[in-house]
Amino acid sequence: MLWQKAWLETRGRFLAGLAISVIVGFGVIYDFRATERLLPLVRNMDPGALDTTGPIGAAIKEGIAAQQTFRGFVWWQWYRQNLTYLVVIFGALLGAGGLLARSGGATLFTLSLPVSRNRLIGTRAVIGLAELLAIAIVPSLVLPLLAPSIGQSYSVIDVMVHGAFMFVVGSVFFSLAALLSNDYTDMWRPVLIACIVAAALGMLEYVPAISPYGIFHVMNGETYYRHAGVPWIGLLISTGISAALLRTAAVNLAHRDF
Amino acid sequence: MIFRPNPSLGVPIYLQLMEQVKHAIETGALRPGEQLPGIRPLAEELVINPNTVAKAYRELEHEGVIELRHGAGAFVSGQAAKSKKATDSLRTAQPIVTAAIQRLRERGLTDEEIRRLFEAELAGLTKAGGRGV
Amino acid sequence: MSEPLAIETVDLQKRFDATDALRGLNLRVPQGSIFGFLGRNGAGKTTTIKLLLGMARPTAGQARVLGLSADDAAASVTIRTRTGFVDENKVLYDYMTVEEIIRFTAAFYPGWRRDLEKRYLQSFELPLHQKTTALSLGMRSKLSLLLALCRGVELLVLDEPTSGLDPAASEAVLQTLVTHVSTERLTVFLSSHHLADVDQIADHIAIIDAGRTVVSGDLEDLRARYRRVQLVFTGDAPDITFHTPGVVRVRRQGRVMTALSNAGSDALIEEAMRFGPVSADVLPVTLKEIFLESVALED
Repeated sequence: MLWQKAWLETRGRFLAGLAISVIVGFGVIYDFRATERLLPLVRNMDPGALDTTGPIGAAIKEGIAAQQTFRGFVWWQWYRQNLTYLVVIFGALLGAGGLLARSGGATLFTLSLPVSRNRLIGTRAVIGLAELLAIAIVPSLVLPLLAPSIGQSYSVIDVMVHGAFMFVVGSVFFSLAALLSNDYTDMWRPVLIACIVAAALGMLEYVPAISPYGIFHVMNGETYYRHAGVPWIGLLISTGISAALLRTAAVNLAHRDF
Repeated sequence: MIFRPNPSLGVPIYLQLMEQVKHAIETGALRPGEQLPGIRPLAEELVINPNTVAKAYRELEHEGVIELRHGAGAFVSGQAAKSKKATDSLRTAQPIVTAAIQRLRERGLTDEEIRRLFEAELAGLTKAGGRGV
Repeated sequence: MSEPLAIETVDLQKRFDATDALRGLNLRVPQGSIFGFLGRNGAGKTTTIKLLLGMARPTAGQARVLGLSADDAAASVTIRTRTGFVDENKVLYDYMTVEEIIRFTAAFYPGWRRDLEKRYLQSFELPLHQKTTALSLGMRSKLSLLLALCRGVELLVLDEPTSGLDPAASEAVLQTLVTHVSTERLTVFLSSHHLADVDQIADHIAIIDAGRTVVSGDLEDLRARYRRVQLVFTGDAPDITFHTPGVVRVRRQGRVMTALSNAGSDALIEEAMRFGPVSADVLPVTLKEIFLESVALED
């Protein structure tokens, strides 16, 4: 029954996240069609006309190069940008609200039940993470499904692999929001703080020396996109950080006085 | 319903119940051999603690006023002579009380004052063993 | 007293940041009793309950519930399989309906009493498909009581069960408790400042003030022992320091002295007689008076 309680508490956020992501996913497909028409124009442009030096210039060059193909377009727009933002935000949203209860005054009722606090926290975390996994994978299935309608194709395996990366890194923000929620009774502060942390980490990755080690580098699966490789170390570190944050949240709650 | 203890009086409820049972027997509302309400149903009806009812019944049995028959319930003691004597003593007591109250009223005491005097006197005297002051 | 105890605390202490909520609480709750736990707001009643149920941990001292140690996390889970709880605010999950929360709670208790569930649903007239937030306080109290009683437990811990209820709803709650106690093997521990309710159904009480027990015992025994003695003197009432044990409070106003005793009136009157009062009245003492006199001492 704890599973059901956790589901009831998070389903609003989850379904909203799913719906929004699916809609944005639709957008990606049809955006590509528009981009396709622009591509010939870009290819024929005089390289000297654009100042492509410096980090921003490099980014523009990279972006143009990537978006030549559908697979590249998906990686550049969907994984590198849209889905990353969605997974970070909804990861934080799903982790927030307290692992013990979004039940406000009913916390004492929950604590009077014959279950250990670890079990209460555990079920809530599992449900939240499962929902995050779903958001990381399910909306992306729109791509292999609808790509044929614009004369393209996208591999389901790619969806799965990218989804896994998204989930592992996204869980870091889930866990961070969960830990912060121990101390804040409202939901928006943990989410805001987690997003600020994400933004700060994101900005750090613009520094070329840091960029290959950045958390978002792992998340958007560039290694896989370019070389079909798996960033094991990055994934392990992210998993480790998530686990540590969650465990801290759990231990903190287990000893807390209510 | 013949029993109505008042929890807020400061007098133990079980004592009030005992008095009310004895009064019921003396006035004939309960006859020898008749069954009293069960402990559980009485507690539920009066919304008082069943242990209190149980204690009252135990004390009444100890005094020989009622009998607790295992499995069957509580019954008024079949001692007709005792109950008759009790009814008689009540009858002779009544005029004493009437006369006393009349005299106190003539002295200008209000009914409330008279009641307090009686209660205070009884509260002071009804200790276990009944030591007089 | 060799009766088994449902709840026992020894010198229980709890400190929250800078406040000492409990300063050495001693409780002995006999099994099968209805125990009234009385105290002013902020005296430490809810804190005590939280410690008993593992919602918070004591700073010092011991608490045992149903023979198990209340501050051991694993033992606390066992305690809660055998204990029903009703919270002061009777807040339940706002996203569940009456039926959903009943099924939810029932899933945790293998001994859930379906027969009692049906009975109370009917007598309380609870609307199965309404969300718990849509219920009035009276309805939520009854629902909370149902959720506690149907667990098939041996101990009920109720924090202000009749607060905010109208007399009819309040009586319904009390009657349910009395009925339940008389038909099941159950101990009821209820904290309240509705003295009339406690007067009506409790057989033992404890009064807590500023984190300590100030009065405790069998309620009928307390009713028999507490006496107010009013002495009138011809001149101003003398300032007597009573050597008789059990004198709780002495007040003098003009020619009248009022003394509160928790050990009967005989010895006190005997001692007072030496000072030659013209009259000595003995009056019974209500629980309300015992309460007010016991907590006023701290001011």
